Amino acid sequence: MSANDILDVLNISRDDNQPAKKKQKTSTPTDNGKPLTGMARELYNLVGPNTPPINLSSSNYISNKGKQNRQFRPSPWSKVNFTPGKHRNIQLKHWVKGSEELLKQENESDEKKEYFFEKFNIKLDIPEFIDEEKYETYMNEFKDDFREEQFTKRKAERMRQLEEQKKQKKIEEKKEEEKRLEEKKEAEKQEEVKQDIKKEGETKQEENFLEEKKEEQKMGEKSVEPSVEPSKEPSEPVITEEEQRSEDEKIKEEVKKELVQFDWSYQETKELFNLCQIYELKWPTIHDRFPSNHRVEDLKEQFYRICVKILETEENKNQNLIDSLKAFSKPRELERKQYLENLLKRTPAEIAEEESLVIEARRFELAAKKMLLERSNLLTLLDSPQSTQNVSQYQSSQGISNLYNNLMIYDKHQKKKQAHQQKQEPIPPPIPLAASSSIRRDKVFQTNLQQYLASFLKQAHHTNPAIKQEANSIQQLLSKRLTQKEEEAYGLHYHGTEKLTPGVTLRSQQKLPGSNQRQSVLKSVSAVFQEMDLPTAGGTMWKPVMPTRKTMSKYDELLRSVVTMLDIKRAKDKLEAEIKLIKSQKGMQ
Amino acid sequence: MSNTVYGGDEVNAIILDPGTYNTRIGYAGDDFPKIITPSYYGEYSNKDTTKKLFGQDLLIPRSNFEIKPLLKEGLISDWDSTILQFNHLFNQLKIQQSEQPLLLTEPIWSSTEYKTKLIESVYENWQFSGFYVAKVPTCISFQQGRPNCLVVDLGHDTISVTPVVDGICLIKNSMKTNYSGKFLNSIIEDYLQDKNIVWEPSYKIKSKTITKYPEPAQFQLKSGIETTNSYSQFLKLQMYHEFKELLMIPEKGQTEFPKRIFELSTGQQITLEKERFQFADCIFEPKSYEFKNKQLELPPSNGEIKNLNPLNEYRPLKRFKKSEQEENETASTTPNPDVEVRGLSQLITHSLNLIDIDLRSSIANNIIVTGGVSLIPGLTEKLYHELTNNNPGLKIRLHAVGNQQERINQSWIGGSVLASLGTFHQMWVTKQEYEEVGIDRLLNQRFR
Repeated sequence: MSANDILDVLNISRDDNQPAKKKQKTSTPTDNGKPLTGMARELYNLVGPNTPPINLSSSNYISNKGKQNRQFRPSPWSKVNFTPGKHRNIQLKHWVKGSEELLKQENESDEKKEYFFEKFNIKLDIPEFIDEEKYETYMNEFKDDFREEQFTKRKAERMRQLEEQKKQKKIEEKKEEEKRLEEKKEAEKQEEVKQDIKKEGETKQEENFLEEKKEEQKMGEKSVEPSVEPSKEPSEPVITEEEQRSEDEKIKEEVKKELVQFDWSYQETKELFNLCQIYELKWPTIHDRFPSNHRVEDLKEQFYRICVKILETEENKNQNLIDSLKAFSKPRELERKQYLENLLKRTPAEIAEEESLVIEARRFELAAKKMLLERSNLLTLLDSPQSTQNVSQYQSSQGISNLYNNLMIYDKHQKKKQAHQQKQEPIPPPIPLAASSSIRRDKVFQTNLQQYLASFLKQAHHTNPAIKQEANSIQQLLSKRLTQKEEEAYGLHYHGTEKLTPGVTLRSQQKLPGSNQRQSVLKSVSAVFQEMDLPTAGGTMWKPVMPTRKTMSKYDELLRSVVTMLDIKRAKDKLEAEIKLIKSQKGMQ
Repeated sequence: MSNTVYGGDEVNAIILDPGTYNTRIGYAGDDFPKIITPSYYGEYSNKDTTKKLFGQDLLIPRSNFEIKPLLKEGLISDWDSTILQFNHLFNQLKIQQSEQPLLLTEPIWSSTEYKTKLIESVYENWQFSGFYVAKVPTCISFQQGRPNCLVVDLGHDTISVTPVVDGICLIKNSMKTNYSGKFLNSIIEDYLQDKNIVWEPSYKIKSKTITKYPEPAQFQLKSGIETTNSYSQFLKLQMYHEFKELLMIPEKGQTEFPKRIFELSTGQQITLEKERFQFADCIFEPKSYEFKNKQLELPPSNGEIKNLNPLNEYRPLKRFKKSEQEENETASTTPNPDVEVRGLSQLITHSLNLIDIDLRSSIANNIIVTGGVSLIPGLTEKLYHELTNNNPGLKIRLHAVGNQQERINQSWIGGSVLASLGTFHQMWVTKQEYEEVGIDRLLNQRFR
């Protein structure tokens, strides 16, 4: 029974169409996609066309939640005691997933289960510090080494300095001497001038005399100079023993002063090692906590050199480690820091200047790149099209018109591009098509005679049979016995046993008999040809520029010989390799 | 273990962060302290008995009620009362000492004696399962998650600048001055004294009429309760706090200073114009304000922390080997004796110059600004400009928490982060270890 039946009974009529539709829609209400059954369906049908616009099935949510609640079982967490780290005797409590019984079982199964975070507690392996006696001997060794090294180094330096000083002195003396002499000269010259003024009216003889005198003086000067020098030279490079001794003393004292850097007491060094262990070789912190005012570099130096000594005495020493420790150089470290310091101390003006320089450099680079690009563009413009491609496709009239069109399009394109790019620059006039090399080449291929014959034959073709006679005359000419020279001139050739293909072919289209080779061989042949600047038709095609019979045959010959050459070369390489192999096998190398 | 994702492991530790102004306490792992209470105690004396009161009890006006500070410059000065206060706090939080470890913060300038006393009193008075002393800058670096940083803490009593490397404070390179919140308080006090402006705690005022500054204040006082001077001084702190909220750092070349009206509890209104900027600028230029009342003035300080402890005694640098290069170096790094007073940015610049050159750039890139005074508007901006101008070679970056409350309580939050890390739990020191190892080794090896 549906609502409509009831309406029928009660004689209530309604617009039938709409409710019917509605009913159809709602007649299969989907609650969780299932059609209603039993009482529910009957009740639903009673609702009839008065179905609410929204399906009010709010119970859905509640029931779902209930279901979820039924399914959800909270996982047990339990508060457990734990000790962070084996050697810590502290008891802390934290929450762990899992029921208490389960955790108990786990604990029993592996009792020494490590605390999860214990693995992050890393200890550095720092060599154990030595006793005082050993320490003293080490330090003394350092001191001795340092003393010796510095002494020899400094002595050499000092000696060099002394020598230089002496040289300098000598040079200065020399200079002074020269100066004195020059002054003398000047004075004399002045005197001469005076004399000249006085004795203006005197005769030339006297002048000559004077000049002679001058020369004499000059000679005298010259003779004086060498007499000075030799007396000095022997004393120059020698450093007296006394000097040496005093220098030695000085150097020793200096070195002694510098030995203060080894002024590390046993206690201090012990403290240093201790701090290194505690702070895991984090030098800034070690330096911060170290009681005295050594620099970080001092601390590092002391630590490293003692470590080297300790490690060297170990039985299975790690040479790499020792070397890396030895590599530490305090002066260099200080220098590096100084440089860094200077870098940071730049004024804003300096920084700005540097930046502007970098920008400028980049601009230059860009400009250079642009110029290169432009140049390469220009070069491609200037370059004539390469004739490496096969021209056969342009030999028909259609091909030529294609080519012409293509060239026109290309030309236009170029023009547009140029106009776009550089409006100010004058556009080079386009190359006239007639000058295009490919067309010219086509013409070049025809000899004069051929041209003549061709035109002649064409004429003969067009005109009436009256001229046949003349054609016959050609035949006559051909049938006539010709001398070798004439044959050559007319381009005649008798094919003996050669197999000929029927029809007319161009010689440039002929396949060379020598090119019957494998593709790989042909490739290497063409490489050889290209190396020798011989014309190839690109790829594995060959063609001389002017395919006359003679050139063709020579070309073929060349091809064959190149092929054999390559064969020989390959064989030779192979043999050489074999010889090498055998030699090496026999150990003869 | 789901908690391994962030490396945390909650053990319900207690974080206690005493500061000069406020003391904070709460559970590790929380994002905010449970209790923030003033670091003062009230002593109520009634004939024979004296009673010490803390927290909210301080605010009730009583006669014979003295209010005294517990800490000075972040260090506990009144030990007995502080222990009582801590007890009070522990009771408030209902802490089970045997199950919960305690993390206590301390400033970096604490001496060895102070540390010894602190550790001793903790182990004597309480039975915490574990104990650790963390340095304030370390906590702040953990709050920000920056192991290498420069912590600039503008607290109530002190401004401190501490480089932190791998979470460990570099004490030798740290700076500390007193030109901070309290200094601003005394400037305000001096200003009010100079203008003959009276202030009375608001509970005393019966009636008032609004007046503007040149007019005198018109108000009537209640009678009956006789409170002590220290009590009204304590209440005055609140007035200073409100006054300081008006302060602003001037921009460079600022000529116009917007007006603000400040109304005192007496009903008197003061119009503040240039003063709000002038006072705030004293953070950068402590000498720019001239005290009329010389008693309020602070002794000059160039920020160096002297005589930290016998171990880390800071002697003037005397090198054994002095080449020319080194002399240059010392000239640049040793403090210029002429510098008597360092403002905030000078303090930071100086500290940066002391730091090892290899660390300097990474530290300059991680400058953390924290503390209540840093909330003055425009402070971080000015600081940034001054630092970049003073250190053109370094790339300066300042980090300041946006949330006001977090910035004030940053060290506590950092402690909370630290104590909830799984890796940290190996650091707790038990009473047993303290008894076995002794205090000296603990100080050297454990509380670093």
